[in-house]
Amino acid sequence: MNAVFTLARTETRLLSREWATMVFAFVFPPLTMLVIAGSFGDQPDDGFGNLIPTEFYVTGYLGVPIAAIALIGIPVILASYRERDVLRRFAAFGVPTRSVAGAQAMVGAGLVVVAALTVLAAAIPTYGIPELQRPFEVAVGFAAGTVTMLTVGVAIGLLVKSARSAQAIGLMAFFPMFLLSGSGPPPDVMSDPMRRIADLLPLTHATSAIRDPWLGDGSIAPHLIGLGVWFVIGITACGALIRRGDSAR
Amino acid sequence: MPTSPPALTVAGLRKSYGDVNVLHDVAFTVREGEIFGLLGSNGAGKTTAVETIQGLRRRDAGTISLFGLDPVTDADEIRHRHLVGAQLQTSALPDRLKVGEALRLFAALAGDLVDWRALSDRWQLAPLERRAFGALSGGQRQRLFLALALVNQPRLVFLDELTQGLDAAARRQTWELLDEVRAGGTTIVLVTHFMDEAERLCDRIGVLHEGRLSYEGRPADLVTAVGGPVHVRFRLDEPFRLDGLDRVRGVVGADVLHGSADVRCHAGACVPVIAELSRRGLAPDDLVLQRPTLEDAFVTLTNPIRPVPAPSGALIESELS
Repeated sequence: MNAVFTLARTETRLLSREWATMVFAFVFPPLTMLVIAGSFGDQPDDGFGNLIPTEFYVTGYLGVPIAAIALIGIPVILASYRERDVLRRFAAFGVPTRSVAGAQAMVGAGLVVVAALTVLAAAIPTYGIPELQRPFEVAVGFAAGTVTMLTVGVAIGLLVKSARSAQAIGLMAFFPMFLLSGSGPPPDVMSDPMRRIADLLPLTHATSAIRDPWLGDGSIAPHLIGLGVWFVIGITACGALIRRGDSAR
Repeated sequence: MPTSPPALTVAGLRKSYGDVNVLHDVAFTVREGEIFGLLGSNGAGKTTAVETIQGLRRRDAGTISLFGLDPVTDADEIRHRHLVGAQLQTSALPDRLKVGEALRLFAALAGDLVDWRALSDRWQLAPLERRAFGALSGGQRQRLFLALALVNQPRLVFLDELTQGLDAAARRQTWELLDEVRAGGTTIVLVTHFMDEAERLCDRIGVLHEGRLSYEGRPADLVTAVGGPVHVRFRLDEPFRLDGLDRVRGVVGADVLHGSADVRCHAGACVPVIAELSRRGLAPDDLVLQRPTLEDAFVTLTNPIRPVPAPSGALIESELS
């Protein structure tokens, strides 16, 4: 565990030099939130399940940094480490791949928290921050959503063989999830197939597990179950991919 | 160093990738405190061997003992006791990681056994501490990797093609650094295909050829066994003055071509040959003794047409058939 913390400290420094990741984590979510939240008014709307659109998006956009870091940031870094034999360098020093992946996830989690705060900071002077209805559940939902998405991101990073592939797969995963999971069009304008697909996505559950208790709109239990399923899939994939990487040599 | 206990013992090591057998029953021993060179042509299996020995690749068969421990099943103990360090043939660090950060990181991962700044000074990395890994030259990277390989003060360090890509001056500088490392008591397994490097540094060598160990022993013994004769060369305008020289014990041949004499003899016959030349009134001022090198021996050993080894040679039996 010490190795994970030691690596995480260094990785945090390295991440601060990755301007593209920083922009995507800290600028993209609040910027798009400001645009879309201002497009649907500030009165309760049937299309949003009688929620206020600005509140729907301000709280929903807390899931966007989670997705950005989990689906794009971490896979690219892990894949580039494998592609360039950085993972082997660490392995030769007795630091296994699982420790490197754990450090990446730890740094990613810290980044997610800070990036989510920037979303809220951007909302303060514009649309305001909605009143927090069930803070404990929000914390649980945020934590569960972050852990699950980061696990999926690590699995993608371990799956692909190059940074370029990781970027392509990450972007292909990110944008559909971003649009279908509550950060794009209002849910009621989506067709049934689109909604059914959205209901299966981990980001939908992460976003809903944060937004629903924040706005007092329904239970988070089904979303925690959905996240639990994705977490099991992700962690199983991570374990299998790490074993595959070891046995492939 | 025949009395030193073994640091590394490898027996019956086999490794294949799919249908391709890369290592066939490789066996050798490295004793504590020595520099053991693992030599071989490109593709001979050197890197596969040392990475398998370190537990970075899975072996198909065989036993490996690193200070009595198995590199796979006892990996945690090997790490905790800081027994092994490694510089891999191909590896990298994140491009934006600075040299000072890399040293500090690996020193911390090793439990801060050494002051990373002292290490930086020792390996002349201090001026580069703020430079990113991606901006380092090949030589600077190798120096950094060598420092990182020793940051846990290992009892045995694997160095794979350490001087690959370095210019002559940098190579000699690296050799001097390795002398220092050995003087500090660290056992070194040096993977190289530079014969001059092996001859200069290694106490003993193992020659891998097509995945099999063809020789294990002292470089000088290999040269004696298969390196060929010593050449005594000098200018000579009267070829008949060499007549009968082959009767000197140890001389295996003598001829003159275009005014240049070439007397071939065993190493022990050099002095008698020169004495005989003197007796015949020949005192050439351009006489040169050309001893066979490790490279000569290596080329002979790895050539499909095998020489007959000297009885004292430590050639592996299977290679002699």
